[in-house]
Amino acid sequence: MSDHVEPIAFIAGPKRVWLYVRQAAAFIAPLVLLLLAWPAIVTIFDVSPRVFPGVQAVLGAAADGLRDGTLLAHVATSLGRVALGTVLAVAAAVPLGVAMGVNSGVSALLTPLFRFFSVLAGIAWIPIATLWFGYGFGAITFVIFNAVFFIVAYNTLLGVSAIPPRLRHAAASLGAGRVAMLTEVLLPGALPNIVTGVRTGLGFAWRGLIAAEMIATDVGLGYMLFVARDFYRTEVIVLGMIIIGIIWLFIDRLLLAPLERATIERWGLVQRT
Amino acid sequence: MSQLGQVLEQYGRWAARWPTIAALVPFLPIVALWWGVAAAEVFPRAFFPGPLEVVNGFAVLTYKGILPAYLEDSIGRLALGAACGIAIGVPLGLLVGLNRAAHTALWPLVLFFQAIGDIAWLPLLLIWFGFGLTTMTFVIVYTVIFPVVFNTALGVRSIAPELVRAALSLGASRIAVLREVILPGALPNIMTGLRNGLGYGWRALIAAEIIVGTSGIGFMMFDARRAGSAVEIVIGMIVLGLLWYVVDAWILAPIERATGQRWGLIARS
Amino acid sequence: MKGLTLRNLHKTYFDLNMGSRVTAVQDVSLHIREGEFVAVVGPSGCGKSTILNMVAGFLPATKGEVLVGDRPVKGPGPDRGVVFQNFALFPWKTVIDNVGFGLKMRGIPKPERDRIAREFLALAGLTNAADRYPNELSGGMQQRVGVVRALANEPDVLLMDEPFASVDAQTRMTLQEELTRIWQERRHTVLFITHDVGEAVFLADRVIVLSKGQVLREIDIPISRPRAWDTVSEQDDFKRLSSEVLQMVRSA
Ligand SMILES: Nc1ncnc2c1ncn2[C@@H]1O[C@H](COP(=O)(O)OP(=O)(O)OP(=O)(O)O)[C@@H](O)[C@H]1O
Ligand SMILES: [Mg+2]
Repeated sequence: MSDHVEPIAFIAGPKRVWLYVRQAAAFIAPLVLLLLAWPAIVTIFDVSPRVFPGVQAVLGAAADGLRDGTLLAHVATSLGRVALGTVLAVAAAVPLGVAMGVNSGVSALLTPLFRFFSVLAGIAWIPIATLWFGYGFGAITFVIFNAVFFIVAYNTLLGVSAIPPRLRHAAASLGAGRVAMLTEVLLPGALPNIVTGVRTGLGFAWRGLIAAEMIATDVGLGYMLFVARDFYRTEVIVLGMIIIGIIWLFIDRLLLAPLERATIERWGLVQRT
Repeated sequence: MSQLGQVLEQYGRWAARWPTIAALVPFLPIVALWWGVAAAEVFPRAFFPGPLEVVNGFAVLTYKGILPAYLEDSIGRLALGAACGIAIGVPLGLLVGLNRAAHTALWPLVLFFQAIGDIAWLPLLLIWFGFGLTTMTFVIVYTVIFPVVFNTALGVRSIAPELVRAALSLGASRIAVLREVILPGALPNIMTGLRNGLGYGWRALIAAEIIVGTSGIGFMMFDARRAGSAVEIVIGMIVLGLLWYVVDAWILAPIERATGQRWGLIARS
Repeated sequence: MKGLTLRNLHKTYFDLNMGSRVTAVQDVSLHIREGEFVAVVGPSGCGKSTILNMVAGFLPATKGEVLVGDRPVKGPGPDRGVVFQNFALFPWKTVIDNVGFGLKMRGIPKPERDRIAREFLALAGLTNAADRYPNELSGGMQQRVGVVRALANEPDVLLMDEPFASVDAQTRMTLQEELTRIWQERRHTVLFITHDVGEAVFLADRVIVLSKGQVLREIDIPISRPRAWDTVSEQDDFKRLSSEVLQMVRSA
């Protein structure tokens, strides 16, 4: 996105480290300010803890959660569910998408279907998933799988069919066989789209997960938030929100976004969709 | 094998010529398959209703006026949320895109609050506002804002500085530059942001309706889930899919194309 | 119409990556008389664009000042029309709305500014392109629109930074001839930046050779007008002056 970063790669040595530090500091400063403003506002306006918690209450909730191990269990469960669903979905979607994208007819047949189902990605599957699999593990994995699978498959398909035919012809005339075509042309060519698909799909999956956990289980971050609501424990809710925010910030900004930028910019041949 | 491949290639060429019909063709075998599986009762009927039952249920729900009423509720909420989201998101995006200090100060906050995500706000909102329109509107606005802010800022920053200079040297005031250069220049990106935002927004709406709803398509689906009736769930999914397809393919995408492509700014799909 | 004066102009950039200062323009003084066509040539990086940007008001000068007539320049303004190398047409406005932009900024109502814009479009043979978008025009046509847009605003001074550098050689010659023709009719004060020596000599009354941010020399071009390439390029004056300027630029 537009969080433009100076081309640090061209600057050497200690200057480079210094630039990184400065950037990180500039990024964190507003968040620190917010953290400082929070207790001040809560005290000045005398906010009831049932409406919004103070910092200490949240820290206390974190300490409690860490001590009895529930916090870790919630976080680990949520992450595990996302990881499982995503890995399964990507493993299924990419080969399928590549295989389908090779033939323009298959692509024309499957594109509308995948588009339709990627429109439904995530939350809209929760009711039927819980009907089919009952409340619990199966339903949640199914929701995540769906969110990621159709979007990644659709994007892979787009990516492969967007590879200019002359590239395929060039590779073929250079003696590339089926396997080489796949590993040397189709996969790398579609990679920017695949990464974009994973990023979008994971975005839906993560939200779908929180929503599903609120309804359909008894462990996980979403569940933790929703149960806390019944007891007006805003400090647990806010703790959960912060954890959710930080986890997603890490996954999206430090993992997926740089990966996407790297593939798109390096190859620059596929239009971003 | 290669003959099948050729037939398919032929179909691909045909599909490129008739994209509207070709978008519907693939659903025929899917519906047929669905019909077959349901008729063979591979799964229990209550879990896996056939197309006829769904069409029938659709007719009944429409006739009773439940479906139209719920649809109206959902679309109304989405429209309200989207309107507020644009009203806040575009100015904020302009500010972040135009002003360095605002960018430095606000960008990390925007990223962080976007990362928390709409749905995680639901429990707190329920405590604050209870089960009602305020909660739902808040959630949708929250979802729509971020993509609009990101893309507006991106759009502003991608405007060639020469265009601003050209306008200034033709006598434009700062306000005129904003109106004549910045806004139209960022418009294709703003549309993209709106498109993404609505994509997230209606999912948030479904979640909100499922969790806190008393009406709307999401509520209908989850109410049916509680009653163990799959027909209404499937109807809900189809309506949602079609609705979004129509809004996206017939309204948002054409606007995006009409602006961006005629002006030759960017070729997006 | 007014003259243009550059008085002891300096520009120092601070290079963030290198952490050092770069002097791009050093003590440049220049007077362009009312209705005079002056071209500035020099090798790449000698500070031509920097000078023009300061005159246009896009960049503040580190030292010195720029006067239009006797009024000092404070920022960009409609008294100085600018023609950009990459045209800088508004992609979301039709040709006629691009040309009428300056008039719109002055609050002239739509029918009136369309009438004026059409007059100027006719001047450059663009009547038929009025309702098209810039994206739908060739590079040569786009730059004609760029020139006409600046002219339609009736500026005192016309500033051009390598305006014909991004069109093909044939079109460039046509555009140069058109520019001399239009200039002869309207007699603007022109500051024209280029690194094409032939272009500078063909167009200008006076050529300034710039080197490392300083004026190396000024040469008057007494070639008679109207000028057209097939006659001018044969003239001994033209050949002599061109090679003279070229020598200087290469030694710069
Ligand atoms: N924003 C800037 N920051 C730092 N240095 C700059 C900046 N802009 C220009 N310079 C430097 O100032 C000098 C003059 O640049 P300028 O663009 O005026 O050259 P020019 O004569 O127009 O060259 P060209 O013919 O390539 O357009 C160059 O050395 C350039 O590297
Ligand atoms: Mg230059």
